[in-house]
Amino acid sequence: MASSNKKINKKDIGKLLNEWSQEFTVFVPSRETGTATMAKWDGKDTSFLDWYRNTVVSPKANILPPMEEMFHFQKDKEGYHIELPPLDGHKQLIFGIRPCDANALAILDMTFNDSYEDPYYLSKRNNTILIGLGCTNPYDSCFCTSLGSSPTDATNVDLMLTDIGDEFLIEAITDKGKELMANISLAEEATEADEAKAKEAREAAYNKVTRQLDIKNIDEKLLASFDNQDYWEKIAAKCISCGICTLLCPTCYCFDINDELLKGQGARFRSLDSCSFPVYTKMPMENPRLEKWRRVRNKVCHKYEFYPMNFDVIACTGCGRCIRLCPVNWDITQTLDIVPAKA
Amino acid sequence: MKQDLEWEPRLVGFLCKWCSYAGADLAGTSRKKYPANIRVIRVPCSGRVDPLFILKALRLGFDGVLVSGCHPGDCHYQTGNYYARRRIAITKKFLEYIGIDPERIQASWVSASEGGKFAEVVTAVAKGLKEVGPNKLFADERREHRTKTTK
Amino acid sequence: MKDGNIEQKLQSEAKALLESGKVDYIIGFEAGSLKFTTTPLITNNIADIDRLVINPFIVNNLSVYLTEVKGRVGIVVKGCDSRSIVTLIQDKQVAREDVVILGVPCPGIIDLSKVERLVGKDRDELDDITRDGDRVVITVDGNETEFPTAEVLFDNCLGCEFPTPKEYDVLLDEFSPLVAGKAASQESLEKLKGMTPEQRWEFWKNEFSRCIRCYACRNICPACFCERCFVEESEPQWISPVPRWQDNLMFQIIRNIHVAGRCTDCGECERACPVNIPLRSLTKEMYDIVDDLFGFKAGMDKEAAPLLTAYALEEAEDFIR
Repeated sequence: MASSNKKINKKDIGKLLNEWSQEFTVFVPSRETGTATMAKWDGKDTSFLDWYRNTVVSPKANILPPMEEMFHFQKDKEGYHIELPPLDGHKQLIFGIRPCDANALAILDMTFNDSYEDPYYLSKRNNTILIGLGCTNPYDSCFCTSLGSSPTDATNVDLMLTDIGDEFLIEAITDKGKELMANISLAEEATEADEAKAKEAREAAYNKVTRQLDIKNIDEKLLASFDNQDYWEKIAAKCISCGICTLLCPTCYCFDINDELLKGQGARFRSLDSCSFPVYTKMPMENPRLEKWRRVRNKVCHKYEFYPMNFDVIACTGCGRCIRLCPVNWDITQTLDIVPAKA
Repeated sequence: MKQDLEWEPRLVGFLCKWCSYAGADLAGTSRKKYPANIRVIRVPCSGRVDPLFILKALRLGFDGVLVSGCHPGDCHYQTGNYYARRRIAITKKFLEYIGIDPERIQASWVSASEGGKFAEVVTAVAKGLKEVGPNKLFADERREHRTKTTK
Repeated sequence: MKDGNIEQKLQSEAKALLESGKVDYIIGFEAGSLKFTTTPLITNNIADIDRLVINPFIVNNLSVYLTEVKGRVGIVVKGCDSRSIVTLIQDKQVAREDVVILGVPCPGIIDLSKVERLVGKDRDELDDITRDGDRVVITVDGNETEFPTAEVLFDNCLGCEFPTPKEYDVLLDEFSPLVAGKAASQESLEKLKGMTPEQRWEFWKNEFSRCIRCYACRNICPACFCERCFVEESEPQWISPVPRWQDNLMFQIIRNIHVAGRCTDCGECERACPVNIPLRSLTKEMYDIVDDLFGFKAGMDKEAAPLLTAYALEEAEDFIR
């Protein structure tokens, strides 16, 4: 079965990306802006192969950007005219997406491609090719293996690359991926020895994920503990209600909509919002989540209780950003470890 | 160059109700001439001016801001202008550090009887701003693009 | 005194405070869930006290929790943190009698980002970091390398003027001499001052282009205690919630002006920023401006009036027409 996969030398990645640039806008991990993001391929820099573990800003930003114009409107003698942004979506290719972030996009799809099909999201999503890159060096904050995934999980990418030393093993996962793989000029057929190396690499990576979380019956436990104010107050005590964990989470999708008006014209924008902020639920007379523990509870339960209720999947992929980037080291795995079994 | 000659700075003036606003009024009633570059906003006291107002004006594209209140010792509320003085001092210095020309942030003491001084201040500030040039600090690429394409 | 001994002293003090009922809560540090991190411990349970730690990684300025935790509180502070408490007292956010301040003379805190840059590895890839006075030993893959401590301390620690708490009830140790590095702590500011105004504006424009508006800088700041921040006002809407660089930068400028005279240069905003915006290059400049113009340093005297609610009759006004 080894014959169906291919391999490419790491030195040829630059050429491969240039090949793909003919057809797609290619995004690669970059620290050009001052923090690790997926940025437009500059045509030469492949240094990310040395430093890249994961980005700070998740590739969610390529599909659900932090801010996005929904439409522009203008007034003239005849009235208002609404102009939609082009929604055909340019073809983009994200190179090096980690399995956790690719899985997260599949989770976002459930919301944006539900009974309401979100045109802004889907126009980008349907025009995006994901080239997965298996992790060889997961962070100590990563816990993907506890969520049924692994650092080399290829489920939700089009093409999967696995590090086998000087080369990457290439597996085509989807039809789009197969088409792409067939056209890679620099790829060679993978041998059985390559497959064996890949298997070894997958196992090694799996075992490097040391953080464990027991998710058995977690939704039921959370449901039972919903009114356990003591527990939630204790859990929330050190949270500072900033938006780091939510805004950078690859599965958080809440957004806010605002109109910006100029004389005779304006635009409607949507931008990411966070349930950590007290204003998130502020209404004219009342704020149902004014207390911090209610907001923390919502964040945890949305991922581990409500999403499973609605879509039968936990809305967390174990990427560990919320742990790694939290300025007070609030740790969701610790939180879930001590959910009381019964209220 | 043609554009430079035509361009006129736009200036927001936050004038205290008790002194400077009355001073501006007096400038008008006594037919003092001063440039029309200023748009006046009346505030109860110069101490009411949060540096946020100054920034907001610059964010909206105004070329300069003038905060004007009663002379020291004459504040209707005794001390409001002293607080304003401290705030404007730090604001001006801080904005300069970030890269905003300090000429854009102006302050003056103008009493209710100083119509002439008010006209002089506005004339001088407008002249100074003309030298500094248009405020493109917060220029919004998107909006500029829009205005071009919609014409 | 060794960290272990300070820890013991802290734990016995904290236990006594809770037992005697002198305080309702203890706010301190416990070991974090990641390597080389500590995390705030806020507890009213005596059984938790054994978890309190003191080490070179106690980054957080815990005074940020004072306006939130109800009742009387025993709190662990470093020099800069104690000054934050003083500003909270000046601003009448906290009553002095409601806090028992457990002061740690601070020898400077290790900046893990600097360590990462120095050894070219992420923090979780390091085996160990140990500090002994002005030397730090970093162990990677079993190999020890020694560095001067000055190379791994936070910039604000290098320029720290008051490592020993200004205000305390219990001092957990004697004064520890600080590693001198005044010049290094001002380096980023001096670099900016050497630029033209246009270059500086361009610099900040770039930095704030990646701001995600998580407000961690504001929420982690003890000086930002407003119940409702101007960014959340919608009538009028001072700042657009859409995270454009213009509004991101304007938010930060105003935040800095609002906390002038309250900022103790604890550096928490910069540390908290997930996208590495050099926020201390703003806060420290404001700190210096306030000092230059008014000879005012935040949090030095709990009886003094806050900077912006005070004035002197004769004060710099050469800029006023």
